[in-house]
Amino acid sequence: MHSPENPFARDPHLCSDHAGEGPSIWSLPGLPDALRREWLALETRRHFLGRGMQAFGWAGLASLLGRPLAAQTAASPAVLAPHYAPRAKRAIYLFMAGSPSQFETWDHKPVLQRMFDQDLPESVRGGQVLTGMTASQARFPIAPSVYKFAQHGQAGHWVSELFPHTARIADELCVLKSLHTEAINHEPAILQLTTGNMFPGRPSLGSWLSYGLGAVNDELPTFVVMTSKMPHRTNVQALSNRLWSSGFLSPEHAAVALRSAGDPVLHLNNPPGVSGDVRRAMIDGVNALNRQLFERVGDAETNARIAQYEMAFRMQSSVPELADLSSEPQSTWDLYGEKAKEPGTYAYNCLMARRLAERGVRFTQIFLRSWDQHSNLPRNIKLMAEESDQPTAALVTDLKRRGLLDDTLVVWGGEFGRTCYSQGVLTAENYGRDHHPRCFSMWMAGGGVKPGLSFGETDDFSYNIVKDPVHIRDLHATMLHLFGLDHNRLSFRFQGLDQRLTGVLPAKVIDAILA
Amino acid sequence: MPSSPELSRVRRRLALALLLATAPLGAETTFYQDRIGPILERHCVVCHGPEKQKAGLRLDSFAWVMKGAESGAMVLPGNAAGSELHRRITLPATDEEVMPSEGKPLLSREEIRNVELWILGGASATKLVAEFPGAPAIGRPKAAAVALAPDWRPRADEIRRLEAELGVRLVPRSQQPGDGLILRTAGSPRRADDAALARLDPVAELIVEAELARTPVTDAGLAAVGRWTNLRSLDLSRAKVSGSGIAALAGLSRLEALNLTDSAVDAGGIERARALPALRRLWAFGAPGMAAAEARP
Ligand code: HEC
Repeated sequence: MHSPENPFARDPHLCSDHAGEGPSIWSLPGLPDALRREWLALETRRHFLGRGMQAFGWAGLASLLGRPLAAQTAASPAVLAPHYAPRAKRAIYLFMAGSPSQFETWDHKPVLQRMFDQDLPESVRGGQVLTGMTASQARFPIAPSVYKFAQHGQAGHWVSELFPHTARIADELCVLKSLHTEAINHEPAILQLTTGNMFPGRPSLGSWLSYGLGAVNDELPTFVVMTSKMPHRTNVQALSNRLWSSGFLSPEHAAVALRSAGDPVLHLNNPPGVSGDVRRAMIDGVNALNRQLFERVGDAETNARIAQYEMAFRMQSSVPELADLSSEPQSTWDLYGEKAKEPGTYAYNCLMARRLAERGVRFTQIFLRSWDQHSNLPRNIKLMAEESDQPTAALVTDLKRRGLLDDTLVVWGGEFGRTCYSQGVLTAENYGRDHHPRCFSMWMAGGGVKPGLSFGETDDFSYNIVKDPVHIRDLHATMLHLFGLDHNRLSFRFQGLDQRLTGVLPAKVIDAILA
Repeated sequence: MPSSPELSRVRRRLALALLLATAPLGAETTFYQDRIGPILERHCVVCHGPEKQKAGLRLDSFAWVMKGAESGAMVLPGNAAGSELHRRITLPATDEEVMPSEGKPLLSREEIRNVELWILGGASATKLVAEFPGAPAIGRPKAAAVALAPDWRPRADEIRRLEAELGVRLVPRSQQPGDGLILRTAGSPRRADDAALARLDPVAELIVEAELARTPVTDAGLAAVGRWTNLRSLDLSRAKVSGSGIAALAGLSRLEALNLTDSAVDAGGIERARALPALRRLWAFGAPGMAAAEARP
């Protein structure tokens, strides 16, 4: 190493990130003992997971046996078997970012038809602070849905005419009409749904599942995110990886985001002239260096990095197979529509979600944006519904006919609700709706939820909840429960706290929606 | 086919029946096992158990309870009033020191009385339920879980060896050892071939779920599967099995769910599957047998 050609040889501290020469946790003076222990716990758990393949399954067995694992400490449960037998093995979360209005989708409010352009009674609003976008409006004129509703299936769900395909799977759906949140703007609201907290930096739901349950298929990531092309663009929210990051959990629990155009994963193919063997040798070499680094410095991130090199290598063969749709029968295209052949469309992503579910990926989150209809709602929500209705229904139908819906939880919804009054000018054909955190609708299907159930009720204005409120924490607690995890017990010691997805405020599993 | 609520009702009834058939009705069970353990499990072990040990205290076994906390013994046999554990569960809800903490639901009067009588009776591990005639019955929210398979833990070494040799995974379905194992192959489906399945005989009765989708398993491999007598759920989607192979599953009297999607199973095979006594859910999308059934007028 100390050849004269090596420019770093003279000064090992040349770069600040030349970590190999930096201090280790053991040599840092004045560090409180508790912090050292927490760090050790973090480090050992990560080290443990970093061993890859067999480690995952065995982690569960070994810790259940009460066998003293070198890696196990009180702060790192390392228990990968669920607390109780799960109903769901995987979930597909269809995130309708921007928030579709409940009035044109799932919360049928016939009373409003007779109240067109009347003022929202002050008693309903109850002095609520509004967003800056409508607070200055002189009036709050009631805007009934221009779209009609009809009851569908034995369940008798009221479904808007915008969703004819989804209406046909009504009996599979458990519709929740009483979600509520504190967040009134998109980013915090989306974060609260994806990570349980309005502030960035927390692990997302998929990361918690990966941490708590490990992988089903080590050839693919445990948590996958896909963003979708939009049929039109208005008020589009930025999506960033903090929505699917692993926060304080080890980086291997973060989602892998599949790209919506071109290769699903960049630089996955070996460059021309580089054979698989050469690639393998290179990764082995890098890993050996990383292991040496870890021995010396003990930084857990190093092990996460090793795990990620290995995952990338395995994905070189698993992702092309995943993305090769040539073996799909005609019935697939009949079901999802021809658009499913075009990478990056919502329809394509729904089909990919089924293929990921078949291959054991635990959590797939698809984002479809541009539901934020502050104006021109009737026109724009129709575009969005046309883009998404058929593929959404196709996904549920496809999972069901292939026997996957039983243990795959499908969730559909945005981040908050919208107002019953018009934002901006109200006419017979046109209006907009502002953000509304006090109530919104979602649906779930499969994975151990009661099919055909409608849960929760709002008042005639879908302004306040009158029955069975469901906070996002309750939704999360329920989702974890379906995966066999107790949200109180799935925790990770960080900054002196046993951190949980559901945080410290009360959260409950919604027993009434469990099948 | 019955819907899933019906299924869970059937399961519950079954669970109850088994419970009635096997529970010795207090004759042999110890009071600790029957009453105290479950009370502590329900209210305390979240914070005082394998995952968290608040105040250095574990309450998930008799030995741990008697060992006490960092600060010393929590149970003084014969002396309920002097036992810290008893004091903590009898404090008013508003007291900072009440257990369970964090505003979790407090113990019922009956539960407290059971703990009290147990301490007064010497905090014994061995005294039987029958020796506490004055102990009030406690509500049992859930029927005791029925074991789906024998405890796999004594065979952990063997399980680990098989995992390493065969490239499949045998993971516990949950932290309840009686929930059995999942045979998991999604990571390397090609390794789960007929020969590999045949070598799983040593753990045959531990396998409760078998995920064999996309594996090269053929009818020959199903002979081995037919010996997994505790199997509840079997996924053979895209496996190379045909209708005649299903005959080998005839002895799986507990099999509830069978997935034959995109397999080569014909109409005869589907008939055979339908004849399985416990089967409630069957999928055969894309299998020739299903296409034949759909073509029928
Ligand atoms: C939500 C978490 C939680 C639950 C549930 C819980 N505890 Fe505790 N327990 C604590 C904490 C935190 C402490 C330490 C603080 C204190 O002493 O109050 C503690 C302390 C104690 C102590 C005192 C230990 C000592 O050193 O003096 C006893 C005894 C105790 N718990 C018994 C119980 C019993 C019995 C139950 C169930 C009925 C229970 N706890 C349920 C969190 C919990």
